[in-house]
Amino acid sequence: MQLNLNHRSTAIADAWIDEKLLFVLREHLGLVGPKFGCGAGLCGACTVLVDGEPQRSCLIRARDVDGRAVVSIEGLASAKGGALHPVQQAWLDEAVPQCGYCQAGQIMAAVALLRQHPQPSDAQIDVAMAGHLCRCGTQQRVRSAIHRAAAQVGGQAGARMGP
Amino acid sequence: MKRRAFMAGSLSVTFVVAGCSFPVIPKRPAPTPEAAQGWIQYRDGRYVLFLPRVEMGQNIATAMKHVACIELGVPATSVDMRLPSTQDIALVRATVGSESVRHFVLPLAQACATLREAIASGKVSNNSGAVLPAEPLPAAQLRAFKRGAGRSSIQAALPLEQAQQIVRGEPLYAADVRRPGMLFGRVLRAPASPELNAHVLAMNEAAARAQPGFVAVMRDPLLQQANSLGVGIVARTPGALDRIEAALALQWQVEGGFEQADLDHALDIDTRLARGALAHDLVADPMDRDASWDVDLRFDIPLAVHGQIEPRAAVAEFGGDGALQLWVGSQDVFYQRDVMARRFGLDAEQVTVHSCRVGGGFGGKTICTVELEAAVLARAAAAPVKVQWTRTQELRYGFGRSPSSHRVRVRLDQGRLGDWWHAFASSHILFMNAALPAWMQRFTDFVGDGGVARGATLAYTAARRRTEFDLVRLPVFSGPWRGLGAGPNGLVIESVIDECAFKAGIDPLQFRLANLEDARLRRVLSHAAHAAGWGTPVLPAAAGQRAGRGLACGIYKENAFAAVVADVTVDDDGQVQLQRLVCAHDCGHVINPDQVRAQCEGNLVWGIGMVLYDELPVADSRVAAGNFDAAPIPRIQAIPRMQVLLIDEGEAPGGAGETAIVAAGAAISNAIRAATGVRLTRFPVRHADLRRSSP
Repeated sequence: MQLNLNHRSTAIADAWIDEKLLFVLREHLGLVGPKFGCGAGLCGACTVLVDGEPQRSCLIRARDVDGRAVVSIEGLASAKGGALHPVQQAWLDEAVPQCGYCQAGQIMAAVALLRQHPQPSDAQIDVAMAGHLCRCGTQQRVRSAIHRAAAQVGGQAGARMGP
Repeated sequence: MKRRAFMAGSLSVTFVVAGCSFPVIPKRPAPTPEAAQGWIQYRDGRYVLFLPRVEMGQNIATAMKHVACIELGVPATSVDMRLPSTQDIALVRATVGSESVRHFVLPLAQACATLREAIASGKVSNNSGAVLPAEPLPAAQLRAFKRGAGRSSIQAALPLEQAQQIVRGEPLYAADVRRPGMLFGRVLRAPASPELNAHVLAMNEAAARAQPGFVAVMRDPLLQQANSLGVGIVARTPGALDRIEAALALQWQVEGGFEQADLDHALDIDTRLARGALAHDLVADPMDRDASWDVDLRFDIPLAVHGQIEPRAAVAEFGGDGALQLWVGSQDVFYQRDVMARRFGLDAEQVTVHSCRVGGGFGGKTICTVELEAAVLARAAAAPVKVQWTRTQELRYGFGRSPSSHRVRVRLDQGRLGDWWHAFASSHILFMNAALPAWMQRFTDFVGDGGVARGATLAYTAARRRTEFDLVRLPVFSGPWRGLGAGPNGLVIESVIDECAFKAGIDPLQFRLANLEDARLRRVLSHAAHAAGWGTPVLPAAAGQRAGRGLACGIYKENAFAAVVADVTVDDDGQVQLQRLVCAHDCGHVINPDQVRAQCEGNLVWGIGMVLYDELPVADSRVAAGNFDAAPIPRIQAIPRMQVLLIDEGEAPGGAGETAIVAAGAAISNAIRAATGVRLTRFPVRHADLRRSSP
């Protein structure tokens, strides 16, 4: 099977087709950005984008995303030169991460939110991020980083916000 | 020797591991300038900093690199920070107790100053970890501790170490490690607390073997956790582990059993007090215990989850020569090495433990569990094996916050504290049941437990004080949790102080100031109150909402101080919404103000958890929760605007990782009291307790 992953076609070995997408990414393909946190879609640490929508990769099999475009945290930065996506940059500017384990999932959800609501309110942020648990307590900085990314993109014609 | 002095001494003895043979005792050497010379290496114009602490989100790597750069007089680009293996540096103690800046920055700065002078005088071109003969400079002569004009340099913080890798999703954590030919393992245990004796009655090994991806099922005496012997499985993919587990259909025989009510009864402080004095006292002024009390409150604080998002994980690999490599996300890397050496009969030099970034520790990653499981499975499979616990395993076979039951009685004397009597019962924290078998724990009973006692001694002046406690071994695992006893003790003490102020008819801020002598605690209290507009009306609530403001303060380990003001609203149905949290924090000399603020923010969020969420239910002889749905932690909607004020008047560096938690929960609970008139005495809050009765 060929997976449309991070804007490229990637071969998936037969033994992995029925495995959860999270483990296909992490163990078969070595893309370890999405994290295992709960295995039940309750924490959000494994979030990737499927056709632009945030999905819990611990709940779906590789087979389930055949023919659809999957983007993981590794696919956000520019393929040429590795320039960070505005959301990733905002995360650094606001010094969001503490332990960092939930952050890839948070960033993917933020990217999806900003595509839907380019200038989100705090309430819209809280709804979009509600399923993303962080025990370190970075929530206030997550809000700030999303506002910063929104402001930066809003103020820059042509800035890249798509995944 | 007085008991109190002896107890303080006992703090240096902390965690030991359970197992089928004698527990391994972790070593806790004090960091020295000589040891620190091994943390910084110089080679061909570049420096390598081997971080002598575990990085788990406190971002100590950034702070220590910053200190190294200032002391060496070099830019950040000249220093490579590395998380060391046990072969790279000499043994350092566990990363616990908020002591990394307090105890490790000075020797690091001294070692860097020594190296800088040796390079300047041409004595050194490559040090490769060799110890340089030099007298360590006192703090006053170190650049990193300079005050006044020279201080500006330290304010310009470096970018967070490893933050680029975090936002790019690059490998950092133990579970991110991948080795050639690596397999996946899991150890299956009885669905009961490992404190109970359990063994296998039956399993369907043939069905397991028929599963695609099956590699092995194994029994090994080293797979014993406390009294629970596990069955190991190994597979070619993580998903195959689930299928093999289901096909094995293990049936267990478990001896004995318990329910939540048994734990509650064992801890019940009133039952214990009815039997007489408790076993351990911290302060024991004589006082009349029979006359009436002005305030008399009972508090119950339950078992609670650490809730870190990374389930513990390890990757183990034995070489052809029998040497073991282990990748861990542990708060005590050298302890893992020592356990492996003992259990496998290896020399310490044959075990290399690699320290990976920890995806949240909070005191929970201080014992040896998944690490030994991975090594046992790797040895049996003759291949590298990765084990990451499921969330259910985390909840069931890890450990939680030690539950406690408190009775506090106070007599007031014209607006001052007269008699203060705080009696409580808790399960052990430092000498935790998750690490110590019962027979060994009994040997510690005569010294008490410095983790349970933490933060229990009243910081206020009172005419007579009595603080005493009992230690109770429970059949569920409990132990260190952010702040240890200081979190629950602070919640209780500051709730009672608030109630005393109401009883005396005195403003809670004024009552505290009138009963406090500690200058640093008074200072944070005044700063927080001023910043929060204490005395001004609370934000008007929407229709049907009640609003209130509360405050609390506290000291962590005698070296850091915090005060918190909380604004809350409570709706008719009893739902609580935080509106704002203001924190004033004094941990002395600050290296990285932004990351101290981040630690304060985390502590404030944990305060929200303590009051509104944290509880790990027990039923059927085990932790009943299997995932986050039954063991919730605060979500983003619960987090209000937070403001943190740092006070740094140049006192010696203290701890920031667990300070504000001593005040955050009580400030919120006191705000709820102000809004509703209800004094919360059991946590987390039940909405029914706060529901407005029909008019």
